[in-house]
Amino acid sequence: MLADMIESIAKILFIFGMNIGFFAPVLGWVERKQSAVMQDRIGANRADIFGFTVIGLFHSIADAIKVLTKEDFIPTGANKFFHTAAPFISLVPAIVTFCVIPFGGRYTLFGHDVNLVISDLDVGLLFIFAFSSLATYGAVLGGWSSNNNWSLIGGLRASAQMLSYEVAMGLTIIGVLMVYGSLKLTEIGVMQENFFRWGIFMQPLGFVLFLTCAIAENKRAPFDVPEAESEIVAGYFTEYSGMKFVMFWMGEFLEIVTISGIVTTLFFGAWHLPFITDQMLLSFFQFAGSNGASILAMLVNIATFFIKVIFFIWMQMTIRWTLPRFRYDQVMKLCWKMILPLSLINIFITGLVFLR
Amino acid sequence: MNKMTDIDQKKCHPMVGVPIEKLRPKQVRKNLELTLWESLYIFEIIRGMYITTRHFVLNMIGFVFKPKGQKRRIFTVYYPEEKVTIPAAYRGRPVLVTWKNGKEKCVACGLCEKICPANAIMIVAEERDGSDRYPSAYTLDMSRCVYCGYCEEVCPKEAIVMSAEYQGLAERDRSKMIYSKEQLLRSEESVKDRIEYIRRIYSKCSY
Repeated sequence: MLADMIESIAKILFIFGMNIGFFAPVLGWVERKQSAVMQDRIGANRADIFGFTVIGLFHSIADAIKVLTKEDFIPTGANKFFHTAAPFISLVPAIVTFCVIPFGGRYTLFGHDVNLVISDLDVGLLFIFAFSSLATYGAVLGGWSSNNNWSLIGGLRASAQMLSYEVAMGLTIIGVLMVYGSLKLTEIGVMQENFFRWGIFMQPLGFVLFLTCAIAENKRAPFDVPEAESEIVAGYFTEYSGMKFVMFWMGEFLEIVTISGIVTTLFFGAWHLPFITDQMLLSFFQFAGSNGASILAMLVNIATFFIKVIFFIWMQMTIRWTLPRFRYDQVMKLCWKMILPLSLINIFITGLVFLR
Repeated sequence: MNKMTDIDQKKCHPMVGVPIEKLRPKQVRKNLELTLWESLYIFEIIRGMYITTRHFVLNMIGFVFKPKGQKRRIFTVYYPEEKVTIPAAYRGRPVLVTWKNGKEKCVACGLCEKICPANAIMIVAEERDGSDRYPSAYTLDMSRCVYCGYCEEVCPKEAIVMSAEYQGLAERDRSKMIYSKEQLLRSEESVKDRIEYIRRIYSKCSY
């Protein structure tokens, strides 16, 4: 009982620390610096502590200080309750969804069964979809309650776009479900132990479609019409300042991490190295005793998983700084006229091949 | 006109970007009908990502191993620490040129005062040793100056030139932007490039 609690708390602290403490601030830095180097610029490098700039990493700290000391502004005529609630509604799902994503296998440690996922739900994938659709309410309520025309347009765009892509995203995933026959993410992960059973080989089209839908769901460029800076100021968070603005911002970054986690779990072999099973890892680390071998294998699993996640974060950032924004009708056309039929075709072909 | 720009390019040769010889004009397709390959999007997206990633990787390599001849592949100038060499054609703060002995070349003819479109110059002329004219007061109001360079163009004595000074032009107090003669005096040596340049340019024009 006590061991269970310790295990859960350790895992929660690890994931929470990884997301809030590492990914959120570092992604802010990466977004600036990567885009700068990519576009032959230098990027933020002026914030320094005693003359050390650490290639601009202190800008995250400077941002945090700035944001904490900023005035929390609520415009006249805004609905105070919803205006305050919207950032929370968009941040919380981004944090919560990570708790069903496995970041390692199942090991025995000091006679205790350790499963490297915070909550091993039977309906893990469904849980992720349910919670990521909640984030829509954050954008819509934020846009609607701000008493600002730009915000309202942004909120409307967000609602239409996110609802449409929710449908398409659900359909793209069905192919994966048909291949692995489970909604449980740990089971899907275990089944990808064999390199040739990785989702990318079983569902190449599904991967492309899912990544597209996920980026659109996350409202990042090229699908950032809800916050299009050049058209509608900042879209649904035009009227937000200080901590609340950062919540939207952090929610966006954490959703990138979550999407990368889901993509890794479903299509890129979760925590597995290619051609190396967990049993092989355990026997390889046999010299450290049974407990030591488990710990080392766990560390390898976690490192593999997070390297894959970081790769996909990198890929999304590259896409975000490479492609220009779609027009709004093009976004809708892409969803309803291309992705939806393609995902239906994907399901049909998967059915023909796997459900004989 | 062509000759002039050629000389200028040698003088302040562009240190930025791809050399002009290497730039090849790209063919632009005017019709916006996408081919089948392009309308699949995905390969074109990969192509775009390849370009940005190539820039990223080359720039990162350039940061670590500095290429020969250039300092780095990103040519941004860290301004307060580094400064660009300013071409002779640059029009900065107008200054008064002196002879070797420290006396100003200006003879207080008042042409610059007349031509100045912003009325920034005010001269009080006086006589020295019974023969020389000189400005006893030469006031230049830099809050009015528009850096057009007419004063330098009309000056018969090459006494006022647009120097390369671009720092400290703005002040919080307008009264500090009114310069007296003593503040504007510069040696001939310090504005040599500009004097050469104006000789070359203005001699081409016949009024």
